Amino acid sequence: MIAIDIISDGLFAAVAAMGFGSISGPPMRAFPCIAILAAVGHASRYCLMNFLGVDIATASLIAAFIIGTGSVFFGKKVFCPMTVLYIPALLPMVPGTYAYKTVFSLIMFFQEISSPGKGNEYLQEMIYNGSVSFSVLFMLAVGATVPVFLLREKANSMTRGSCFL
Amino acid sequence: MTHEYMVEIADFIARYLSYMLGAGVHTSRVVRNSKRLGKALGVDVSIHTSQKTATLTVSSGTGDRDTRVLDIPAFPISFEWNADLSALSWAAHDRRMTLEEVRTKFDELVSKPGMNPVFVLFMVSLANASFCRLFGGDIWAMLITFTATMTGFFTRQHLMKNKVNHYIVFIVSAFVASICASSALSLGIETAEIALATSVLYLVPGVPLINGLIDITDGHIQIGISRLVNAFMLIVCIAIGMSITLMMVKDSLL
Repeated sequence: MIAIDIISDGLFAAVAAMGFGSISGPPMRAFPCIAILAAVGHASRYCLMNFLGVDIATASLIAAFIIGTGSVFFGKKVFCPMTVLYIPALLPMVPGTYAYKTVFSLIMFFQEISSPGKGNEYLQEMIYNGSVSFSVLFMLAVGATVPVFLLREKANSMTRGSCFL
Repeated sequence: MTHEYMVEIADFIARYLSYMLGAGVHTSRVVRNSKRLGKALGVDVSIHTSQKTATLTVSSGTGDRDTRVLDIPAFPISFEWNADLSALSWAAHDRRMTLEEVRTKFDELVSKPGMNPVFVLFMVSLANASFCRLFGGDIWAMLITFTATMTGFFTRQHLMKNKVNHYIVFIVSAFVASICASSALSLGIETAEIALATSVLYLVPGVPLINGLIDITDGHIQIGISRLVNAFMLIVCIAIGMSITLMMVKDSLL
């Protein structure tokens, strides 16, 4: 049962990454790599959060680091710069529900502004959700960029000798 | 190297540079690739970039130089250009291509047709439906998200085609997608709120957000901040579009 949960999590993440990636027009040869990276990344975040009790920001950082490192490996295979592979793969990890709740609490705060008790509650909820979404977004970007600094030479010559030109 | 030939090279590098920046490639890659291309053609290249314009100086070894300011055209983000044009700069460097060869190859690469818009529409809707599942939505919530995204993204594609201001495009498409998704509330679906929350996420400007952070960590702080501010404005627009819906349906959400 646990295995099915993990696999389906990875599968849906892969579909989401390919779909969101297609807005930015990646080359066709990049799609399988994007799918694999997104599935591995999202499934590992799922495992970290549900089985090891890691918090969402740290788990996102680790998952983004895995995706970034993977994109160095795959980028050399399909001659794509790292960003082409890891940006779409990161998109399924964007903290959507937290972002939504931030906006919703902001609106409700203004609706309840005259009753101090309820207004306070919504304001608190807004700050809570806002900080989670901001930190997760930040961690995602940082985690995926760290491999670029560690493997500078390799990361900068990804498209050298491309046979797709 | 004659002055005319150098100006010709400068013309080409200016085009190369503006296409790459316009298609949403992060700054340090653009600078690195343009310098590499310049070196392959026998000139030195220095670049200063900002959000809408760039300054380019091309100098030959003999003290002859050409400086110009160029406008950056607003292309849709294209990862394909990112990959292909980077590969072109390496090919020019490794295979010692002439200016004529590089220019022909460049024209060929940028005139490749993009992805079919109907295919993109379908893929994005499917993606948002899976996204809804990741957040814990059930099958009915997924279906609602699928249709809502399809309507919203279709609106966005059409408004973009008619060159409407992009802030307005974002507000309107966020509103259309979320109002469609709010039908889940009246249908009494258990995870309706998740459908409503995910329906607008296809609009999140992920590429400028991550590019902005990459630029800042690479030391191109000014353009990095410009990109982040740009992305932040779009997120505010999504929030405005969704708030209009939330104001209308908030009573059934509590």
